[in-house]
Formats: sequence, structure tokens, C-alpha cells
Amino acid sequence: MSLNILVVDDSITVRAVIAKTLEVAGVSVNCLYQAANGKEALDILAEQWVDLIFSDINMPIMGGVEMIEKLNADATLSCIPVIVVSTEGSATRMEELKSKGVRAYIRKPFTPEMVRKVVDDITGGAS
Amino acid sequence: MTNEHTEILNDVFCDVTEKLAFMFGEPSEKDELPPVDTECIEARMTFAGPMTGSLTMAVPVEMCPIIAANVLGMEPDDESVQARATDALTELLNVICGNILTAIAGEQPVFDLTVPTAHALSAEDWAKLLEDPDTLAFVLEDLPALLQLKLESLPT
Repeated sequence: MSLNILVVDDSITVRAVIAKTLEVAGVSVNCLYQAANGKEALDILAEQWVDLIFSDINMPIMGGVEMIEKLNADATLSCIPVIVVSTEGSATRMEELKSKGVRAYIRKPFTPEMVRKVVDDITGGAS
Repeated sequence: MTNEHTEILNDVFCDVTEKLAFMFGEPSEKDELPPVDTECIEARMTFAGPMTGSLTMAVPVEMCPIIAANVLGMEPDDESVQARATDALTELLNVICGNILTAIAGEQPVFDLTVPTAHALSAEDWAKLLEDPDTLAFVLEDLPALLQLKLESLPT
């Protein structure tokens, strides 16, 4: 199964690295959408369906936490699994995000194996 | 800067540059750094939480496309690498900062981090940054790099 994936990060470099990491990890991607912040992500989600969202937390205009809260407030979008990719290593923050429905947390720097495992855990290895 | 913080910064800088950018760095004595004969660039971000402060990283401008190329697995002279050169430096700083804060304050505290910014650094400002006692020096792929941690309040 090929996945439609949305990558949300204000760093164009990180977006490119996540795209390349998905490729190296062997994740089958149908469409890869990119957004520089939560607002851009919501604009994309208003037009496109995605199966997975990789999102940073700390972004200008709209950060990851606010975006996740807006996703949760929408009956359709709330079922899209969100994987947070962040430099922050706070266990408290991770718990807070999981309580908001975040499915997994990947800390930077990450490896293709880490990304593959998280995607497999969420999709049941279907990608 | 305490000896413990110096050790943490040295370890995290070398670990993150290796894992994220596949570049090998080593702490250096300041007077043994390779000379800087090009423009430099400085990336900076601040953090607030159980302790507040800032983290600054400065490198010769020629290092930025090398970082971007290594992070992206491309050639340094590739157009898309050139376009992402500064962004790669700020992202490298971002990851170093997150890992330093966890190493110093532990895994429970939550920090609010600002989005890193970058700007050109004059030779005079490079020299000032180098002289600062809170600045550590590194050699990264034969080029100099500076990392400065300023703490306004210490962890409780």
C-alpha cells in the first residue's frame, strides 16, 4: 500500500531529509506533501487526503501543538495519525503530545530504521 | 561555563554533527583553530524553561553548503544544496540545542525554543565570539566552528 504523507516543518532541509529517509527506509509513498507550518498543513488537508503526518513542534505562524489541536477538533482529520519529529527530548512534552493523540515521537537526529519502525507500527507494516 | 557543561557541549556537538551531517568534529584549543579567511555566518536561538539562555553557532560561510550537502546526501555545488545552506546550519543548531538542554536539565523539563535565525558575522564579531569564555571551539572537517552557550538562569 502506498501512503500519502504530509511533512510539516519550517526547515526545508528537514522536509527534504524526511522525504529521503522515507525513501531509504523503503516506505512506499504515493504523494508527499510539504508544509512549512501548521497553517499551511491545514490548507493542504482541506484539499488533499493523507494517511500520515510527520510534524515538527516548534514552527512560526502555527506550531505543531496548535495544528494537532485543530486536527482533533475536526471529525474527519482527527483520525489521521500524527508522528512528531522534534529536537526536544522532554518526556513531559512527549506525554503531553500523546495525550493529544500523537501516535509516535521521533527525536532528531533520527535514522531510516527509526522512521520505518514507527511507520510499520502505525500502518501494521502495510506500506 | 562549568566543566560539566563544557563536557556536555563537546559531546553533543560532536555526536550531532556526526549523526545528522556525517561530519567529524573535535574540540580545539582556541589558539589552535584553523584561520578564518572568508566571511562567517552565525546562527542563534534562545530557550526558556527551568533555565533560560541562548545557543549560538558560528562557522565560515563555506561550511554551510558542506553541512547541507552531507545532511541531504548531495554534492555541495548542487543548486538545491546552495539554496538550503543557511537552513541546514540553523537546523543543525536546533538539534544541538535540543540535545544539550536534555543533557543538562534531564528528560522531564519542558523548554520553549525560539526558531533559529542566521546572519552574517564580521571578522571583528567572530573574534569577539571566539574570545568569550562561554564559547567553545571545534574543528569540523578541517574548518573552525564556534559554539556559545549563555545561561541567564541556571537549572533549579
